[in-house]
Amino acid sequence: MALLEVESVVAGYGAGPDILTGLTLNIDEGTSYCIVGPNGAGKSTLLRTVAGFLKPRAGEVRFDGVTMNGSRPDQMLAAGVCYVPQDASLFPMMTVRENLAMGGYLIDDRALLRERMDMVYETFPILAERSGQNAGTLSGGEQQMVTLGRALMIEPKVVMIDEPSLGLAPMIADQIFEKIRGFSDLGITVVLVEQNAVKGLEAVDWGFVLDLGSMEFEGPADGILADPRIRELYLGKALTRRER
Amino acid sequence: MNWVQIVVLGLLLGGVYAMMASGLTLLFGVMRVVNLAHAAFILVAAFITYVLFENLALDPMVSLVITMPLMFGLGVMLYLLLFPRLEESPRYVEMTVLLTFGLALIVEGLLTFIFTGIFRSVRPEYASTSIRIGDIFIPTSQLYASLISFALLICLWLLLRFTKTGTAIRATMQNRAAAQIVGVNVRRVSALAFGIGMALAGAAGSLLSFMFPFFPGRHWQWIALLLALIVLGGMGSIKGAVVGALLLAVASAFVTSLAGPTWSPITFYLTLFLILMIRPEGLFGTKVRL
Repeated sequence: MALLEVESVVAGYGAGPDILTGLTLNIDEGTSYCIVGPNGAGKSTLLRTVAGFLKPRAGEVRFDGVTMNGSRPDQMLAAGVCYVPQDASLFPMMTVRENLAMGGYLIDDRALLRERMDMVYETFPILAERSGQNAGTLSGGEQQMVTLGRALMIEPKVVMIDEPSLGLAPMIADQIFEKIRGFSDLGITVVLVEQNAVKGLEAVDWGFVLDLGSMEFEGPADGILADPRIRELYLGKALTRRER
Repeated sequence: MNWVQIVVLGLLLGGVYAMMASGLTLLFGVMRVVNLAHAAFILVAAFITYVLFENLALDPMVSLVITMPLMFGLGVMLYLLLFPRLEESPRYVEMTVLLTFGLALIVEGLLTFIFTGIFRSVRPEYASTSIRIGDIFIPTSQLYASLISFALLICLWLLLRFTKTGTAIRATMQNRAAAQIVGVNVRRVSALAFGIGMALAGAAGSLLSFMFPFFPGRHWQWIALLLALIVLGGMGSIKGAVVGALLLAVASAFVTSLAGPTWSPITFYLTLFLILMIRPEGLFGTKVRL
């Protein structure tokens, strides 16, 4: 049984049209995934639906075999699904340390919190240097590291990261991907959404190609990268621009 | 009148304003709701205090222990009853403005129905005495009201700074989405914030009851003043509300003594006008998009 199952999910915003049109996918424990596809394919909507920010109009989201439809974000997090949205979602007037502590909001054990924080500082040494600084004053890359570090605080089973490289310089983005690869070594299942398909797929084991709200194709990430047909059809623009 | 006297009077009044405004700004910070009924609920507490004083001769400062929990409960109830269904609406801000405006009208109507429109006041012994320190006279009622207000503000600060619930409230104020992501149940936090804001309104009502005469329609004047305070301080900033309240109260005390009490209200509106022109986010506010 897969750890996270999305079955024929239909979802959209407000009274608007369906963005996800019956999407099915399975996430296995210990594998890392990247979801790619053109703008409007429903990549972010999928993450928001699984995280509990958006209720599915139809279909089912199951985690560990339990149906989670209509769960609140805090309930999904307590179950072990952590969501890192696109815009570095920080508490700008709190220090880096306080932001990380907020990541452990659901944990009451202080000793455990301290242990986790040390672990985060080990993974992101720059955050240890910045620990007393207000998060709002950090650079874009550092802010992204705070959101990733904050996600580690709860030691989730699955972490879903939306466009971690958005707005970052290529070198900084590479560092972020490097850190995300490290998540898998910690036993965390990573689900990545990435506009930069090549960078995203290079960082994971398995790729999903989404288009118009449903699954177009899935397979091993290196296979997708090597398949000229898929590259041309679905990753076209992102690739040709980079390769030129 | 010497200027020390003016500053002292301004600060005393400012302390009470600060507490009234902090409840309003807390609510805005957490929920992005401008509660136009805040002053109407302050009046509800003032009338409760009046009833308790007239019938049981209960000291208005003691009635705080009744009005605060009562208003807290009313706040949580009103929130759960009225607000969650608006959350999904794409016109959330507009809807909440209309909703709280309607609440203010309903409360005013009910109060007028029960108590009629005549002026009331609560007159405990200390309402007509004053204390003299050197050359300075301090009305006892204002001193007491101010001390209680500052004590409650310190309690609010301790709650927000050092408790887990307080941390969750501050986090929600800074970034609601991020708070949800780290597992804060923002609906529970909103209900609590509404309750705390209303409890502060309850305390303010009990204190105002012996400082100023009041009648049900009075709340429009109060809410206008409170809005000026929190816009000056920066919407959603409690520190800003306190500083804004103290500044404006002192300024208005000076205007009163130099130009006469007729000109005192203009201090608030003129400041509001200038702030909106020069620095719309206020002294301590951050630019927010609604």
